[in-house]
Amino acid sequence: MVFIVILIASYLLQMVLPWWIIVVISFATCGLIGKTGKISLWSPFFAILLLWTGMALFKSLPNNNVLALRVAGMLGVSSWILVLALSAMLGAFIAGVSGFCGYHFRKAVLTKKTNS
Amino acid sequence: MNKIKALICIVIPILLTYALNTKFGDTPPLLKFLNPFTGFWQNAEKNTVNPNRKITLKATYQNVDIAFDDRMIPHIFAQNDHDVYYAQGYVTAMHRLWQMDFQTRFAAGRISEVVGKKAIELDKYQRRMGMVYGAEKSLEGMMTDPKSKEMILAYTAGINDYIHSLTQAKLPIEYKLLDFKPEDWTPLKCALLLKQMSAVLAMGSDEFYMTNIRKKFGTDVVKDLFPDYPFKEDPIIPVGTKWDFDPLPVPTPPADALKEMTTGNIETKQKEEGIGSNNWAISGAKTKSGYPILANDPHLDLTLPSIWYQIQLHAPGLNSYGVSLPGAPGVIIGFNQNIAWGVTNVAADVLDFYEIKFKDNTHKSYWYNNEWKNTTTRLEKILIRGSKAEIDTVYYTHQGPVVYLQKPEKFSKAQNIPIGNALRWIAHDKSNELKTFYLLNRGKNYNDYRKALTYYTAPAQNFVFASVDNDIAITANGKFPLKWKDQGKFIMDGSDPKNDWQGWIPASQNPTVKNPPRNFVSSANQSSTDQTYPYYINWEFSPYERAKRINDRLTVMTNATADSIRTMQTDTYSIHAQNILPAILPLVDGSKLNATQKEGFSLVSAWNKHYDAKEVAASIFDLWTKRIQYNIWDDEFSVDGVPMRYPSRDRTVQLILTQPDSKWVDNIKTPEKETLSDLVNEAFKYSCDSLERKYGPIGERWQWANFKHSNVPHLAKIPGFGSKTLMIGGGKMTIDALSESNGPSWRMVVELGKTPKGHGVFPGGQSGNPGSKFYDNMIDTWANGELYDLFFMQSVDDPSAKIISKLKISKK
Repeated sequence: MVFIVILIASYLLQMVLPWWIIVVISFATCGLIGKTGKISLWSPFFAILLLWTGMALFKSLPNNNVLALRVAGMLGVSSWILVLALSAMLGAFIAGVSGFCGYHFRKAVLTKKTNS
Repeated sequence: MNKIKALICIVIPILLTYALNTKFGDTPPLLKFLNPFTGFWQNAEKNTVNPNRKITLKATYQNVDIAFDDRMIPHIFAQNDHDVYYAQGYVTAMHRLWQMDFQTRFAAGRISEVVGKKAIELDKYQRRMGMVYGAEKSLEGMMTDPKSKEMILAYTAGINDYIHSLTQAKLPIEYKLLDFKPEDWTPLKCALLLKQMSAVLAMGSDEFYMTNIRKKFGTDVVKDLFPDYPFKEDPIIPVGTKWDFDPLPVPTPPADALKEMTTGNIETKQKEEGIGSNNWAISGAKTKSGYPILANDPHLDLTLPSIWYQIQLHAPGLNSYGVSLPGAPGVIIGFNQNIAWGVTNVAADVLDFYEIKFKDNTHKSYWYNNEWKNTTTRLEKILIRGSKAEIDTVYYTHQGPVVYLQKPEKFSKAQNIPIGNALRWIAHDKSNELKTFYLLNRGKNYNDYRKALTYYTAPAQNFVFASVDNDIAITANGKFPLKWKDQGKFIMDGSDPKNDWQGWIPASQNPTVKNPPRNFVSSANQSSTDQTYPYYINWEFSPYERAKRINDRLTVMTNATADSIRTMQTDTYSIHAQNILPAILPLVDGSKLNATQKEGFSLVSAWNKHYDAKEVAASIFDLWTKRIQYNIWDDEFSVDGVPMRYPSRDRTVQLILTQPDSKWVDNIKTPEKETLSDLVNEAFKYSCDSLERKYGPIGERWQWANFKHSNVPHLAKIPGFGSKTLMIGGGKMTIDALSESNGPSWRMVVELGKTPKGHGVFPGGQSGNPGSKFYDNMIDTWANGELYDLFFMQSVDDPSAKIISKLKISKK
């Protein structure tokens, strides 16, 4: 569920908003409906990994990866696949961390409530 | 406890987001750049092109049709002048926005705004040289003329309407990398771009060096080693051409014209062969078709995105095809139904330095004409990314800006600028070059060509011309100050009015020739005229070798076709080798060479003198002759603290051929007495040894192309965005003047006739986007020395052109 929500929301909102909306989405989604810490880490991670890889390929394949290859040259790596992996992994990483933080934020706030 | 946990849970994502969305030093904002929704992936253009597009742009007066051919060259069909330049602005921005923006920021000294503190000296230099001051003056000139005003305003509006249509995702990739945004285009930016061309082509100055040389060696040595006319020459206006005008009286030099000026202290630098170009036109008497053929290849520092942008402009009274400069409306080099034109640089001396005597350290007044005169100040505010803005005060005398009061450290461009001197430079004058191109684009005959040239100021160019009426002509054209002989060869005394520029050579008296008996005209940056021309333009021009080869080949050419001209543009024969090898080869003592040197020697001896890609001899010869020049001059002309330059290559050749026993040959730094033969032998061994050190045993890796390492780098030198190494021939002294990354930036051949036929190519592509297949698609054709047929369309549906996409702009 978390996975699907983040995937769809990130896809739609990134059409109009900057990339960091995925941080907000992951945080909020996991903060609201993240069941466990593990789910809140890995669901956003894989949602963004899939979404970003998909989007990057959608733009890059019809381009014969010409630009991705040039960027690989700029970064000093041999293959455009590495540029793709770097892009998607970084996005996935920050989404995963945000989801995890969102979940623990809820925990922190909720326990606070029960305590007081 | 939990409050802290909650806080940490919020802070971590925010910090991470910040870190990945911010530019640190030269590292781009990582995820802003890498994310596939707005980052660089969005710049990957599809290989397939949308065949039909329609857009609405309210600023147009009527509908405009643009056809893009199979190399993405736009052919604009508009119904009035406004719309044609508006559309030119729009499509140029569509393909080249970042380049236009970056080049004009560079010109205006605004790079620090983008890259931060590291560009501050560059920005100060641009401003202190008066680039913005000159652009403002120039803009005044353009805005006074209603035609050029309309042109520039429409072009600006077109660019801005494109900029306003952009989203973050659509920004050119370099904006994403350097993390900045395009700003609105202004007419001033058009002027800045043209000033930058002046800076590239007419900012050279040797007078600081020359002043030092005169001070150290005296006037006689200067006359001998730095003569006012070369030993070998083949001037642009053929020798013997009559000047059919009554020249103006030339101003008299001051009595103390030879007064010595003080100097500063910087390093010696060997003069690099300047930026050069070739053009020529041959009359119908020498062609197969009976109509003239015109050719042009301007040599510049090659870059991607390409320097030039091909375009066809069609409107009532206008149908012109050629290359434009991204940032300036109109066609700069090209042709229309009736005429063709092209340009090469004239090395006119239009930049002078004046030593200024200030009253005191406030620099508020200076001594001029026996009284104290006030300076004016111009405050240059330089915005710097990531730090506080700096205000730089520049003092202006009536001559121009006092470029430096203190020498900036470690800034190579400042090398030839004398401290405390005012700069008089033609690029600071009011001008309207656009009008020249406006008229040439619409020109029908020789008279129109001559009229167009009268509007042109700088950078001075040799405008070659051919028309369907079988007229050919060439004019060394620009606004030339009326100078006394050698005025500005040395730094001048700024307090004497006789040293000022006191008038202008009338445009009609600029060196020109029409239909000469030899049936061709040509230029390759050499001396404009022989010594009979009544005015002084400069004491030194580019060496004559390219010109000589062009003239030699054109003299014997008959029944010429576009193809014979094309092969001539890629001619790599070295006249320098032809001149000098017979004198230096016999001096080499074969018995004292090692095995490698012996093999090198036999290769050079058998060499056909072509700088071809696979020639090992060319690499050896090139290093060898440069080293000979070093051996002869460096001992005298390289002195710590006294910046000087070597005598020219021409003077070196003269010495080797006619004065082998000259006193300059001996190395004054050794006790022995060297002979020319000693220097030549040392240089030969040096050449082979350095090649061996760098490339191993003599063989394939010594080949000229490998040694020269030609490539086309990205404009901002971003790695990966330039071309691969091109294994091709050519050299600075040959017609195909390609060095490492300077060379023919556009090759054009136009066959005049009932319908003109154009052929052309530049090393790059129409698009400035590294993610487009049109970014570098023409490079291989260019490298192979081939040309494309240019589609000179008569209407938007002209079936003779291969059109892959159409864009219709409508008003509503």
